[in-house]
Amino acid sequence: MPGVFPKWTNQLPLNIAAGLAIAGAAVAAGLGYYFTPKYTRVGYQPIQPVPYSHATHVEQLGMDCRYCHAGVERSWFAGLPDASRCMNCHHQVLAGDPRLAPVRDSMQTGAPVAWIQIHRTPDYVYFHHAAHIRRGVSCLHCHGRVDQFEEVRHDQPLSMSFCLECHRRPEAYLRPLDQVYNLGWNTDPARQNEQGRLLALTGDMRPPLSCSGCHR
Amino acid sequence: MKNDAPARPAPWKEPRYWRSLDELARTPPFQEWLQGEFPDGAQALEHPVSRRRFLEIMSASFLLAGLGLGGAGCRRPEEAILPFARIPEGYDHGVAEYYATAMPVRGSAIPLLVKTHEGRPVKIEGNPLHPQGRTGTDAFAQASILNLYDPDRLRRFTRQGQAVAPAAAIDFLASQAREWAERRGSGLAILEGRASSPSRERIERLLRRRYPEARWYIHEPIDLQIARASAAMALGQPLAPAYRMDLARRIVSFDADLLGTEEDAHRWIHQHARGRQLDDDGRDPARLYVLESLMTLTGANADHRLRLEPARIPAAAARLWWEVHRQAGWAADEESAALRALANSYADPNSWCAECARDLVESRGQCLVVAGHRQPMAVHLAAWSLNHRLGNIGRTVHVRPAPAAAEKEGLPELAASLRAGQVEALVILDGNPAYTAPADLDWRSAQRMARTVIRLAASEDETSAACDWQIPALHFLESWGDARTGDGTVTSVQPLIQPLFGGASGKDGGWTDLEFLARIGGLEEQRPREIVRQTIRELAGSGDAVRQWRQYLHDGFLAGSAPAPASPAWQPGAALECWHSAAGSLAAQAASPGLQVVFHRDYSVDDGRYINNGWLQEMPDPITKLTWENAILISPRTARLHKLAHFDRIEIALRGRTVEGPVWIQPGMADNTLGLALGYGRERTGRVGAGSGYNAYRLRTAAALHADTGAQIRLVRRPGKKDRIACTQDHGALEGRPIVREASLDQFRADPGLASGAMRIEAHRPPAASLYSHPPLTGLHQWGMAVDLNACVGCSACVLACQSENNVPIVGRGQVARGREMHWLRIDRYYAGPPDRPLDEQGDDPQVVFQPMMCQQCEHAPCEYVCPVNATVHDEEGLNVMAYNRCVGTRYCANNCPYKVRRFNFFDYHRRPLDRLYRGPLAPKAPDERDLIQWARNPDVTVRMRGVMEKCTYCVQRIQQAKIARKIAAGISGDIRVPDGAIVPACAEACPAEAIVFGDLSDPNSRVSVLRRQARCYRALEFLDVRPRTSYLARIRNPNSRMPDWHEHPWSLEDALRRREGGRPGQAEPAGRPEGGG
Repeated sequence: MPGVFPKWTNQLPLNIAAGLAIAGAAVAAGLGYYFTPKYTRVGYQPIQPVPYSHATHVEQLGMDCRYCHAGVERSWFAGLPDASRCMNCHHQVLAGDPRLAPVRDSMQTGAPVAWIQIHRTPDYVYFHHAAHIRRGVSCLHCHGRVDQFEEVRHDQPLSMSFCLECHRRPEAYLRPLDQVYNLGWNTDPARQNEQGRLLALTGDMRPPLSCSGCHR
Repeated sequence: MKNDAPARPAPWKEPRYWRSLDELARTPPFQEWLQGEFPDGAQALEHPVSRRRFLEIMSASFLLAGLGLGGAGCRRPEEAILPFARIPEGYDHGVAEYYATAMPVRGSAIPLLVKTHEGRPVKIEGNPLHPQGRTGTDAFAQASILNLYDPDRLRRFTRQGQAVAPAAAIDFLASQAREWAERRGSGLAILEGRASSPSRERIERLLRRRYPEARWYIHEPIDLQIARASAAMALGQPLAPAYRMDLARRIVSFDADLLGTEEDAHRWIHQHARGRQLDDDGRDPARLYVLESLMTLTGANADHRLRLEPARIPAAAARLWWEVHRQAGWAADEESAALRALANSYADPNSWCAECARDLVESRGQCLVVAGHRQPMAVHLAAWSLNHRLGNIGRTVHVRPAPAAAEKEGLPELAASLRAGQVEALVILDGNPAYTAPADLDWRSAQRMARTVIRLAASEDETSAACDWQIPALHFLESWGDARTGDGTVTSVQPLIQPLFGGASGKDGGWTDLEFLARIGGLEEQRPREIVRQTIRELAGSGDAVRQWRQYLHDGFLAGSAPAPASPAWQPGAALECWHSAAGSLAAQAASPGLQVVFHRDYSVDDGRYINNGWLQEMPDPITKLTWENAILISPRTARLHKLAHFDRIEIALRGRTVEGPVWIQPGMADNTLGLALGYGRERTGRVGAGSGYNAYRLRTAAALHADTGAQIRLVRRPGKKDRIACTQDHGALEGRPIVREASLDQFRADPGLASGAMRIEAHRPPAASLYSHPPLTGLHQWGMAVDLNACVGCSACVLACQSENNVPIVGRGQVARGREMHWLRIDRYYAGPPDRPLDEQGDDPQVVFQPMMCQQCEHAPCEYVCPVNATVHDEEGLNVMAYNRCVGTRYCANNCPYKVRRFNFFDYHRRPLDRLYRGPLAPKAPDERDLIQWARNPDVTVRMRGVMEKCTYCVQRIQQAKIARKIAAGISGDIRVPDGAIVPACAEACPAEAIVFGDLSDPNSRVSVLRRQARCYRALEFLDVRPRTSYLARIRNPNSRMPDWHEHPWSLEDALRRREGGRPGQAEPAGRPEGGG
């Protein structure tokens, strides 16, 4: 009896398998690239109600991070300045500038300035600013050179693997406490490792690696 | 095939405990429940969702998901951060703040420290600074936070049921006040409940001055005031008694449920636990004797318990008095003559009273006799007389001067003057008299006789129907006020949040009782804060008023405001007179035929005030383990006599009134007695409380508020499927495995290993070798917990504290009946009967043990091996943690857990209305309801969604917060070890008995490490080699060897020892009981 199926069909299962494998790999790669924070989050730079420039305030005027982010050494939340804090200076400097209108309105009406949130961990992640800052992890490692930004943007992926990289190897990141807010502080990697190891040792640094560290 | 644990002990060789009569008799329903891998249809998607319906729903939800993806894109929605315009001084967003306040309860208050997050109160804890000591809280205080966010609270000012503007009520009361003042208050009647607020006393004095002819009435459906009234009578001046259960070596209770339903129970639990402590210096625990009709928490914790019909308790108390009198060799006098007849009416058949009396006489000045609020004045005076004669006053019972209560009449007098047309305006300050009034007063019609009824109301209820004006009452967390705690300390009540329903200014949300009274009186100062401030200024006396006020608010109490103990002289006349007048009727009552009835305060809903609180409703009753409902409690023997079974619907007829309810056969109940819990069966209440239970108030008359005789019962029908009540007592049954341990004091002193069970199954423990690899436990701390079964009385405050702290959802009656309750911490209640009696008599006088059961944090955790997605794993510090986001809901872990402590979210309990759970995502969301209750959630804990397993993690959020706080303080230094005691899990925090101790096992000096070295320490199911991190301290009973019900060992242990020695099953071995593996 002649074959019902032509000869080329013998190859068909193999082709299908190969096709599926390639498609699968493409999907996986695509998801891995396009659906992870590295792609979806990094570079996010919404337009804020007030064009606030970190570069002007920190780089030029030399203000400390904690003047505005006052809760950073006490709370999980670094804190945003209330309108009255901005007005401490701006009732004299740029007093009538239209760019500062939302802040002046807030001051008068009591309604908050609606800053658009950029950095956000999921609900099931309990990140604590103070726990990091007070133990020698600089702002730099998660927020990049925010002191030089004209407009704030999402700088690092802040994914779980990003967190774990540091939690597994704290010595590559730890700094003396007096350099935490100095984002421009630079050491060569070899020295960083050496100093970091010392800091990790004296501070008995044990960044949690298990789920309970961040998920509750 | 059901697969038993290989190392399962032969059941009859182990101490035998049972949780229910069904388990004891191993009836088919119990077996069925036990054998089901998941109880009752937990696997099947069953009615009313068919398989087809399920598919429809699923496809609909996929469609929705697709739309969401396609329409909204992948970007996260934009959200705003809204900083303050002006930040309050000292405020850090994200750091919880604590304020001292208090929960007023009847004539007392519970001092509290309340945690707020971003201005929302989220968790209630005891105030450790308060002079009463670290007495924790009770379950009501824990749950009261839910009442604050109750969407069914009265939100509007109403007139004739129609909403009006608050200003209308203010104007109306102002004009009324002028009118009343002109008429000197004639025609005005004010009805209130018990309160302990000094400010309220002050305002009342002002009102009495303004309205000298106004009449004041008091109504408290379950009035606990008799403890004070009797002290005043016996000692001739207004006094508040303060027991020292920690100092008393022998305690006798005449139906006083000190550990449960009496005033300030949390305080007595605290002292009781102290008194029961076994020190290594050889101090013996106290001994507790209880005479009672119901099985109460106090009776369950007693060393000797005499159960009697309610009408015979006064006689038995008199008998005990008489026996003490005789054995102490006191001369016959008028008092003994007055009690003689009553004492003789109780025969003391097994000389229980005589031996108890001997023990009292032998510990003069170190014993304590207390009568409960259900007992008549004569019994209270007998107790006071014993305390006086045995020299206890000033030693084990202190009395402090209390503010003299102004003369107030009761509800019957008010009803009479209403009917006589003497009341023009009725002001109702507290309570719900239309529901709680004695049935023979016909209160509803009486209330309509008043021309105007003005009421301060917490919710729409039965009384609302006949009210002209209703003013919403503020919750105590929104109120300025004050209160006196049981020791007389003036304690602050301060608001933690603006009135929820009061708009932006908070002004229109309602009034506190102080503001209401001030407006009724047309007083000048109507702002409650200023009223309280004025009171405190007066009470504090000289000094810097501003500083005193601040200190008072900060500490939560006015230091030194508790009056010093008084030592008044005994007033023989009052007791004599009372006994002479009461003895005859009490003796007659004891002889009356028919069933007797006890009306009792419910452990879950109190007198009905917590009916709309889902946490309390779902909390299993500490004794019966019933949820969401009350039942007619009846003893096993009486049930047999009347041929009744569980859940049979019966009708009780009492003095011409009837009520119908389900039967619950309660081991340890007095025979011939029906126990009726008050507070259920509401006609008009919120969504949670609607339709739960039957209303026992309908049988209650003004003459017999607490107990009555002459009841008849009639079977209405056998229970149908709808009549089953959600009871948790058989949930998570451990099939006779030896999980609770206890011993008698003498045997424990002789052989300390007896309690912890070294001679038992653990001797056959397999060599410690595990087939699995285990993560190294290298953390700096190694967490562990110790639970002292000797201290735990089963009050269930911890269950609610856990629910509040950990966002544990309410699942509803239907789900509880299926075994799906979500409590991470449950309290197992075990019974043990006398081993030498037949099965039928096992439930007559059982011994009771309570065991809090939560995740044991096994080092070799069986749940971890079976999780296919690593959602439950160990951390370095020995916690068995749950990563909710990894969990896919296979439920293998729950199945493999030997302690049955894992809970699965079968539905989206947090988001969907409980009566439409089965409609899944198609169920409508009720926005107001859910949003409001969300405010009560703890932001430090994930709110779990459907399909996720959850369990206790020793409050991992508190552990992490304490570690972080330590690290923040340490800075770059290595000083990061959390000091012992810095972490207190929610359950331990709430526990009045300090039965739960948490700490670091790697520190040999931590409290938990010290406890673990005690001889009576054991770990549950240790033979499984799961190495739990929680250990238990065995319960030590302290029975009196001369008592008729004395046994050398606790019954369970005696049973086991006897059968082990004999190598054969005991006499009471029920037929068909499986031997070996089963």
